[in-house]
Amino acid sequence: MFKERYSHMNNQIHPRDQLLQDILDSAHDGDCSKRIEPLRLKRPVVALVALCICLTMAMPVLAATVEPIYQLMYMVSPSVAQFFMPVQKSSESNGIKLEVVSSYIHDNIAEIYVTMQDLTGDRIDGTTDLFDSYSINRPFDSSAHCQLIGYEQNTKTATFLITIDEWGSQNIAGDKITFSVREFLSHKNKYDGLEIPVELSSILTAERTQTVSSNGGGGKDYQSYLDFERNPIALIPSDPMEAFPVDGIDLTGIAYIGGKLHIQTAVKEPLDNDNHGSFYLKDATGTDISCNYSFSFSNQYEQPGRIDYHEYVFDIPQEYVSKYLLYGDFVTSGMKTKGDWRVTFPLESTE
Amino acid sequence: MKLQSLRTDDCVGDVIKFYSNMVYRLAFARTGTRHDADEIFQEVFFRYIKKQPVFENEAHRKAWFIKVTVNCSKKLWGSAWKRKIIPLEETLQFETKEDIDLYNELQQLPAKYREVIHLFYYEDMTTEEIAKVLERKNTTVRTQLTRARVLLKNILKEDYDV
Repeated sequence: MFKERYSHMNNQIHPRDQLLQDILDSAHDGDCSKRIEPLRLKRPVVALVALCICLTMAMPVLAATVEPIYQLMYMVSPSVAQFFMPVQKSSESNGIKLEVVSSYIHDNIAEIYVTMQDLTGDRIDGTTDLFDSYSINRPFDSSAHCQLIGYEQNTKTATFLITIDEWGSQNIAGDKITFSVREFLSHKNKYDGLEIPVELSSILTAERTQTVSSNGGGGKDYQSYLDFERNPIALIPSDPMEAFPVDGIDLTGIAYIGGKLHIQTAVKEPLDNDNHGSFYLKDATGTDISCNYSFSFSNQYEQPGRIDYHEYVFDIPQEYVSKYLLYGDFVTSGMKTKGDWRVTFPLESTE
Repeated sequence: MKLQSLRTDDCVGDVIKFYSNMVYRLAFARTGTRHDADEIFQEVFFRYIKKQPVFENEAHRKAWFIKVTVNCSKKLWGSAWKRKIIPLEETLQFETKEDIDLYNELQQLPAKYREVIHLFYYEDMTTEEIAKVLERKNTTVRTQLTRARVLLKNILKEDYDV
């Protein structure tokens, strides 16, 4: 009896759709994205001709911004671009226009082209990142993915392709969905293969360390060194190294702890910039050596002034470290823009 | 839960969808609030996405998710300031009064008992399996289960078949 009652109660407990969606979006750039099958042409020729006529007739009505978007559509999905239905519903906030340009429903997948255009400034650029602040409300269980596919300099318009994959067998055509965006990052800088001006032979053993509560971590040896129960030993942050060549990320420590090389960075207000990166060593043959594990911790969480520290740990004996050079890859953003963009539109099938 | 429906090399998204309810329900069982369950849920799957660990079989993967969920719950629960900021109304709306009563009474159990109750009665795990995944002695798990049953009977004052 208890078992049945407990099961009945528990069966009502499940993660919110948006929470699960956020996790799936985070995972989408991993191996799942490699499994997405190419879109196939499945509609009859009659539908293709009819829609081409429809689009051709609609084209003169569309603004000048639309044509490059259709060019992008053809570049991204040439075999199915003809099937997209014009939507052209928009929302404006903070001088920036969000427009749902077109959508295409096939099988249990909806593909939607969305543009964002800065009408007053230069906040939108070719690095615009919706920063996981977008949400897609729809009345069916699904997974979704949103990617930047192009940027048009003349009109300052970024184009995104949203793909929604409905999980069940229901027909998603005829439903309405709402696409909304709260904020985005732009003017991002990418540093690939950046040599860090640190003389590794002069690195000393840390005089003082601290035990921290880790937010998580990774790396090939993460589990061997940092079991879930254990709190890692970290460097005590020092003043940022002046010669560190990345604006938005500070190098706050580099020293040996327990025979392992620790390198520590700090990012201020990480929720406003998503600045991040990683280090690696290069040996004399030019071979890259990844860190054995990394972990992160914060000075505080939900108040202003949050700093996220990332510590990268290399298992390289101190006597050999002079044979290596230190490199890193980093991404920083220069601007965060907030607004309230929201467009509700129907999912219409071309059939 | 039918473990054979996944393969150990399945894509991350499929694994997340498959284990999402299990992780969330276990997190909720231990913490009792949506707020904490949400945080644990994210932390568990972020770890999975980031590490993408390799497993010998599906049972191994399930055990990993249970272990990480419990450990993340402990970590969260250990943070005193977090407990202070949890809004009291931040919980689930259950269908029946019986569900609400059961939820309220379960919340009076220590978290370590709730997780054992959940794994035993909802995930249908044996005490040996629970002991292995939680890295506790089998006798400890059996004792916790027995004490939880006694507390449930005392609290509910009903003849629950436990």
